[in-house]
Amino acid sequence: MSEKPDSYESAVERLEQIIDRLDSGQAGLRETLDLCREGRDLVTYCTAELDAVGESLRELKLDELAAKLDSSTG
Amino acid sequence: MQLIGEITGLRHTAKQTYFELRDREGAVPCTIWANDLSRLKLPEGALRDGAEFVAGGGPDYFIGSATSSPGFSFRVTQLRLAGEGDLLARLEALRKQLRAEGLFELQKQLGRALLPRTIGVVTAESGAARRDLLAGLERRGWRGTLVWAFAPVQDRHAAPAIAAAIQGLAAQPSVDAIVVTRGGGSLADLWAFCDETLCRTVAMLRVPVISAVGHERDSTLIDDVAAVACSTPTHAAEAAVPLDCEAARGDLRRVLAGLRRAAEGTVRARTPHLVHLAGGPARALARQRSALNQKTREIRAASERGLAVRLDFQWRVAGVVLARAGRRAVGAEAERRRVALHRAAVALRAHEPERTLERGYALVEDTAGEPVSAAAAARAAGRVKLRFADGSVGARIEEE
Repeated sequence: MSEKPDSYESAVERLEQIIDRLDSGQAGLRETLDLCREGRDLVTYCTAELDAVGESLRELKLDELAAKLDSSTG
Repeated sequence: MQLIGEITGLRHTAKQTYFELRDREGAVPCTIWANDLSRLKLPEGALRDGAEFVAGGGPDYFIGSATSSPGFSFRVTQLRLAGEGDLLARLEALRKQLRAEGLFELQKQLGRALLPRTIGVVTAESGAARRDLLAGLERRGWRGTLVWAFAPVQDRHAAPAIAAAIQGLAAQPSVDAIVVTRGGGSLADLWAFCDETLCRTVAMLRVPVISAVGHERDSTLIDDVAAVACSTPTHAAEAAVPLDCEAARGDLRRVLAGLRRAAEGTVRARTPHLVHLAGGPARALARQRSALNQKTREIRAASERGLAVRLDFQWRVAGVVLARAGRRAVGAEAERRRVALHRAAVALRAHEPERTLERGYALVEDTAGEPVSAAAAARAAGRVKLRFADGSVGARIEEE
């Protein structure tokens, strides 16, 4: 199993590699099952990333954001 | 001779008007006679501090007086508000300089997130640009966090406030990209976005800036230094969120279905082979059992007829005869058979279930050791044994 991806881009890139490998038909049983499991984890990650920007738009003013950060660090 | 610059230190006396014409290189003291100034008929209030003017005239020297020091100044005889053409000429010079310094490339080398979580926006608090940007983001299906940094966006005096807003956003670690936008206008209206300090600030930021200032035909300097220049706020929304979130959801669903198919397909493709292997031991046992039964019957029949002893003698005679015949046959024929037998043994070994098990497959057997080769049979058995190359383990069938 690979580690958790660090961005949506890298997750998608790895998914494409997995699909290419599966499409090649060269992966054996064990590898196929491992790749499918890894692929499912990546899809779950990407879906969570999309969900994070898919629920409701949040609008802040810059000074509100700065004040919030100050209070959380202070 | 003509000078172009911003009026500063404007001061009127009865006879003369004094001011400095300033640009980023420095300032030149200027004077104009009151009657020259009134002859020019400048619009009311046009000559003021901060206004951009073109002055024509030549050098003048004041020899000094009891109350004033001697000094050089620029004696102005012509004076007009700087027009679009003057601004364009200055813009082109500045553009050339910033390009030569490589400042147009810095932002373009920054990586942009396909799916930013937080976007900073510098724009006017009221205006169509704000509404259009929101509509563009909605169309992308993006509903993350927007951080507004409102700033005046009209004429050159807005530049420091815009630069401060951009820097404020860039200082927030959560901000993934910054959009700077306003609607169209004259070059003078958009002049803040050609400000040298502002553009140098943007060029040096490590957060990508997406500019959408003015309309398609307007070309401000911030468009050149930004990571991406867009013609409208709607396009800026698309540039800020390169991923179409709705389409991406569809893609992920398709990928997931493909992965499921691949996993199921690979198991299904191997199932017939596994089923065949699973049947192998049972078939071999059945053959052996049948052969054994046959022998038992023959022996029983022979002993019943009391011929067992003679039969044994005859078998021994037959054995001797066969051995003699065998010795005669030694040679090419025997060698051919030996080779064929060896081949058969190799081929057989390749099909032995144990070989398959060594490659990572497992055989499913019921508790009596009979192979289970179908899901229905496994379900009926309830408890099964999984036979691996290195031994067996018990297992219980559970329905998902």
